[in-house]
Amino acid sequence: MYGYVRPEKGELKIREYQRYRGVYCGLCHDLRRRYGPFCRLLVNYDFTFLAMLLAGEGEENTCDKRCPVHPARKYPCLGACMGLDTAADETVILAWWKLRDGARDESLLKSLLYRIACLILRRAYKKATDRQPGFASVVETQLLRLNRLEDAKSSSLDETADAFACILRAAGEGAGGDRSRILGELLYHLGRIIYILDAVDDLARDERSGDYNPLRYRFNLEEGKLSQPDEAALRLTLQHSHNSISAAWALLEPSPYSEIISNVIYLGLPTVTQAIFAGTWHAHKRERSKI
Amino acid sequence: MNDPYSVLGVSPNASDEEVKKAYRDLARKYHPDNYHDNPLADLASEKMKEINEAYDEITRSREQGNSGSAYGGSSAYQQRQSYTGYQQQRSYTGGNASYAQIRVLINANNLAQAENMLNNMSVHDAEWNYLMGSVCWRKGWMDDASRYFRTASNMEPMNQEYRQAVQYMNQGGQAYRPAGANMNMTNADTACNICGNLLCMDCCCEMMGGDLIPCC
Repeated sequence: MYGYVRPEKGELKIREYQRYRGVYCGLCHDLRRRYGPFCRLLVNYDFTFLAMLLAGEGEENTCDKRCPVHPARKYPCLGACMGLDTAADETVILAWWKLRDGARDESLLKSLLYRIACLILRRAYKKATDRQPGFASVVETQLLRLNRLEDAKSSSLDETADAFACILRAAGEGAGGDRSRILGELLYHLGRIIYILDAVDDLARDERSGDYNPLRYRFNLEEGKLSQPDEAALRLTLQHSHNSISAAWALLEPSPYSEIISNVIYLGLPTVTQAIFAGTWHAHKRERSKI
Repeated sequence: MNDPYSVLGVSPNASDEEVKKAYRDLARKYHPDNYHDNPLADLASEKMKEINEAYDEITRSREQGNSGSAYGGSSAYQQRQSYTGYQQQRSYTGGNASYAQIRVLINANNLAQAENMLNNMSVHDAEWNYLMGSVCWRKGWMDDASRYFRTASNMEPMNQEYRQAVQYMNQGGQAYRPAGANMNMTNADTACNICGNLLCMDCCCEMMGGDLIPCC
């Protein structure tokens, strides 16, 4: 996944940091338990955030576990719960479709590698689809829609972002009632932000390779870059989505992860956005990829 | 009804000041301005009602508890009335019956049908663009929304409603931020910038004969 949705680590309290780390490790262990050792490589920050959102109150049972990355010592780790299980299932489904997508348009060698990865994940994907049939069908429909929009060189930023945002909205379904409405709204705009940030992040590369990027068709680029007013317009539309996330977040009941989620929304996302627009994101990511 | 103290998130032993502060923070959080044309506005106004009731109940019970003391009803939050009185309804003033119907649909959050009706119309005048913008905005298609609003406003520059929509879009909307989290997605005003602006203002003032920063 993208890794845009992460807390601003320096602003977390130590116990919040440990709890966050517990969810990350918990997701990794859950992926291995449910889908085998390969799938644990799929663990990522974005779905850790999803797991925190989905985990209801009183779902916190931690245990100390060892893992291959840190064999020397045990770390506190969130035990299996509904939020983690759902996040794990959805990680596998989305990863499989992303690999399928990769097999479609990269060079021959890369396409072959993607195909092999797809084969390895195939069984896990089938299992996950049985567990989350609704999410799997939304991912399939929306990614096909996204492919069609890309082939047609769509110039609507909102429509292309909508396809991805609908996938994220589906990730929060099943909570039921108002909670599901609120989560849906929050995740929709999170998906929209992720999609647009990814487009900004990839713009220079797509400009060189000639691949589709919605920004190339939505704006008039100047020497492959966004002009100042266009960048301002883009930031403004991100700001509106961010406001919608804040508005939805304020309506959710507090959970053990509230502080961490607030950190991600109010500090993490703006920091990542600034870094992506400034072009410092990749350096920033390397520097702080260690959890 | 829930315990009013737990609604405000304070202990029953909290001082009047603490209760008031908790109430103000929550009122700021669920303020209707933060839910301008938001699909979750109904939930926010429910919350607002709940905390208003809780605050009223606490004030009332404390007044009874120490009647005759300095504590009076006058300390109730003055702006409260305007919070509950806020309405997000679109009032219809024009002459086209379909537009009136579409406005009703938008207010009821029935966006698919509203969009369908708009798409079936052949004349795309200013109001059409404005309503299309409203549908897009509620759907979360903010980029398209801002373009429709701008078109509407350009077609009828004197229309207050369209102008307000464009203004709201351009200023970046409004959202609750907890204390200390004042970062946003647009260009941040950094500390350096603020100092720079102050110095500029000082120079301007000096030119005009005044002085903003006395020591320079």
